[in-house]
Amino acid sequence: MPKDERGLTRIELLQGTLDLIILQTLRWGPRHGYGLAQMIRANSREALRVDTGSLYPALHRLEKSGAIAADWEMSENRQRVRVYRLTAAGRKQLAAERSRWEQLSEAIAGILAPPLPESDT
Amino acid sequence: MRLSLPWNRRRREGELDEELRAHFRMAVDERVSRGESYDAATYAVRREFGNVGVVKEVTREMWGGGSLERLMQDLRYGARTLRRSRGFTLVAGLTLAVGIGATTAVFTVVHGVLLRPLPYPEPNRLVLLSYQPKNTPWVSAPGIADRTWVEFRRGTRAFAHVAASSAQLVTLTGAGDPVRLQGAAVTADFFATLGIAPARGRSFSVDEETAGRNGVVLLGSALWRERFGSDPGVVGRTITLDGVGHTVLGVLPEGFAYPYEAQLWRPLELRLAPNLYLMLSVIGRMRDGVTREQAVADVASVAGGAERSAGGERETSVAEILPLKDTVVGDVGRSLLVFAGAVGLVLLIACANAANLLLMRATSRHREIAVRAALGAGRRRLVRQLVTESVLLWVVAGAIGAAVSVAGVRGLLALAPAGRIPRHGEIGVDVVALVFALGVSLVTGVVFGLVPAVRATRTPLRASLAATPRGISSRDGGVRGALVVAEIALALVLLAGAGLLTQSFLRMRHLELGFQSTGLATMTVDLPATGYASTSAMQTFHARMLDRLRHTPGVESAAAINFSPLGSALVRGDFKLDGGRTPPRDYLVAKPSVSPEYFRTMGIRLLRGREFTERDDAASPGVVIVSRSVADRVWPGMNALGQRVSMKDRPGPGDWLTVVGVVDDIAQRGLDGKRDPAIYQPYAQLAQPFFLEHMTFVVRAADRPEMLLGVMRQALREVDRSQPVGSIGTMDATIAMTVAEPLFQARLIGVFSALALLLAGIGIYGVVAYSVAERTHEIGIRVALGAAGGDIVRLVVRRVLMLVVPGVGLGIVGALAVTRVLATFLFGVKPNDPATFAGVAAVLAAVAFLAGLVPARRASRVDPLVALRAGA
Repeated sequence: MPKDERGLTRIELLQGTLDLIILQTLRWGPRHGYGLAQMIRANSREALRVDTGSLYPALHRLEKSGAIAADWEMSENRQRVRVYRLTAAGRKQLAAERSRWEQLSEAIAGILAPPLPESDT
Repeated sequence: MRLSLPWNRRRREGELDEELRAHFRMAVDERVSRGESYDAATYAVRREFGNVGVVKEVTREMWGGGSLERLMQDLRYGARTLRRSRGFTLVAGLTLAVGIGATTAVFTVVHGVLLRPLPYPEPNRLVLLSYQPKNTPWVSAPGIADRTWVEFRRGTRAFAHVAASSAQLVTLTGAGDPVRLQGAAVTADFFATLGIAPARGRSFSVDEETAGRNGVVLLGSALWRERFGSDPGVVGRTITLDGVGHTVLGVLPEGFAYPYEAQLWRPLELRLAPNLYLMLSVIGRMRDGVTREQAVADVASVAGGAERSAGGERETSVAEILPLKDTVVGDVGRSLLVFAGAVGLVLLIACANAANLLLMRATSRHREIAVRAALGAGRRRLVRQLVTESVLLWVVAGAIGAAVSVAGVRGLLALAPAGRIPRHGEIGVDVVALVFALGVSLVTGVVFGLVPAVRATRTPLRASLAATPRGISSRDGGVRGALVVAEIALALVLLAGAGLLTQSFLRMRHLELGFQSTGLATMTVDLPATGYASTSAMQTFHARMLDRLRHTPGVESAAAINFSPLGSALVRGDFKLDGGRTPPRDYLVAKPSVSPEYFRTMGIRLLRGREFTERDDAASPGVVIVSRSVADRVWPGMNALGQRVSMKDRPGPGDWLTVVGVVDDIAQRGLDGKRDPAIYQPYAQLAQPFFLEHMTFVVRAADRPEMLLGVMRQALREVDRSQPVGSIGTMDATIAMTVAEPLFQARLIGVFSALALLLAGIGIYGVVAYSVAERTHEIGIRVALGAAGGDIVRLVVRRVLMLVVPGVGLGIVGALAVTRVLATFLFGVKPNDPATFAGVAAVLAAVAFLAGLVPARRASRVDPLVALRAGA
């Protein structure tokens, strides 16, 4: 795991966020990787596009940590696909990450909207 | 912890493949269902997807696993990338293979000779004993006088076994052609002391040391194979040595040839003669728990006690103990360590070159590395991966190098003068050498792979992801320049060493010896005491030989000498002066005995008086001829002719010999530049058979001396067909043998420095070519602004100068420090010889400019339009 110095806080934040997004999306039921990507895209109104180079490492990492589990299933067009689902541990992690995310976004919102009289420029 | 096994992993790889393929198919299907054509959909999805290989790579990384697994992963990745860039892998790999191979070959020899313990049980307890006066010219090797030895063997308490030995040459007849063999006379305990037993049969018993029962012999396994066809039935058979039957008691194990590279061993029979001390080489095995100090004290008290009770006239003897290995290795050790240092420099240069190539390649991989970093690979991970890759490169090169070193060792031993590398039978590329090669590869791979890896992963991400990575930072250029400067400096050190050794060899080769070596042929014959018991019998043989040689067509003159210059033996000693005078203290002279016409045949100048003639025989008054330095030293300002000397310790009235001539000094012992003082006697006036047994016939040829060797052998066969030829050859060939070792050193260091020069040239070429490629844009602008080709060349030459000047400067400083260790090997040239230094610096500079010339010419032909477009 990256434990490194410069330039990586950004990535770590991103990763954490991606984990949250994946776990949240899987709450609606098991999905394969492609389905997840599509759903994230749709739910974010096309704002978030997760590329495969980030999605699959994140899925495999979450699987390794036990937050999600994977099974092979047959898709509608008779293709073997790897389907991910949330585990009990994953639900717990989702709750924790959600509350952390909420704290963070509240804090950021506070900074972005300071209760100060301002003169528009 | 989840155990991840290779097959498990392979399954997961397959699954990942399938997972991503499914993703791809679904994405394409969806686009097609939206109405896109299949081709357009595939193209679009492929663009979205990015590099599948990288995606897999970063996903696999998430699997984690043990460090071993990660290592395997890195190795696989490294192998893939190395396979992809063949040119780089080939050049870097070959460079390293040469460096590691040469290093392993030299290590193998150094290990075989210097480091490996002697192949006997508990070798640390084996020592060489010495009890003799120190710091007198009499002592040449550690030893104990024969009489003292007898007492010491009886009285020692510190040693479990002690044994004495002395060298002897033995003629074997009746088993193929007569042959002269190196033998050793050893006491009964000799093999027990070393801790070895014969492979067949038994060794000597104590009662076989006495005359009458000592007609027994042990054979070396090589002799047993070559002369007796490895016949096991030879044990118990009788063979003829020096014309006397000896019963073969046994055969020694394969490879055993101690001492003196002996091929057969006979019991040492002690014949204690009054007034004659024979020094014996004595080895001992210390008892368990005995310290060095106790052993030395034991020698001092037991041997000292023996000498005191025998009269104690030997004043200041010193007890000494030397590790047996030191004597086996001899003075080759220093020479080998110099080679080891030299090959180490070659290895460093090779590694620097490979590191340079890695640095340059890192530029072209910036994007790949940046993408991997962006995808979440930590820097430490990236560095580890790059280092793993370079270690892989190093290890593969090391494996090739180790294979090459097998041939290298053989070449090295073949190049070495015969018999000059001790223990050569034990030398071979073995497990230790392979482990060494692997260790060298791993260590240098990590060290030299680390710098490029750290550099490659340093560049900020965003800068690298910008469309065109415009080369690397100037700091990288600095590192590469520094590496090449170091290469030049190291190459210069090697070249300086090679230059000095070559000069020294050439000077030795053209040394004035005091005689005319060209045109001479020599043949040595050792007469056994058994066939030729009396001096007159020997002298008759010699006279017949000389007569026959003189009447051989093509021979101008022929003569004989018992201890010939540059020969295998030399008798030196002191002498007495007539009239109550004493010669200078510790003044030793060579004492050869020669036939008439010796000086004329050899081309030694007669300065005063006359040569010996046939009339100087046993019946006429004793005469001698002294060499110039004896005359100057003993009778300064006087006429040496007519003076009298004696070779006896207490000369009687008939023992005085009159000086009848003075001849030039000649080099007796070797090509060390020294001329030895000598007092010659006519061989016909010698009374002791010992001084006549060993005789060298010298022939001056009218034309080519090598054409006479056949007829010289023929002459010996006709005079006595049972006598073997001891050694035969032209004098020039003998001289070549004497300089064989300096030649070997010069050649070997020469080969190493040629390699270093080649590698440094490649390094310079690489850096200059790279900087030209890097600056194509700039050069294009300059050309567009009207710079002529010459200006551009000047630009490149300046780059070369920036490498050469500091490199040569540093190299000279380094060489001045390092060549001092060569001082003992040098002859007639100082280790800081300015001419040599200037010469090698010039050679190096020339190679550097040659290496820079190709890129310079390319730069001068840059088409400004192409260059500017490429840079835009």
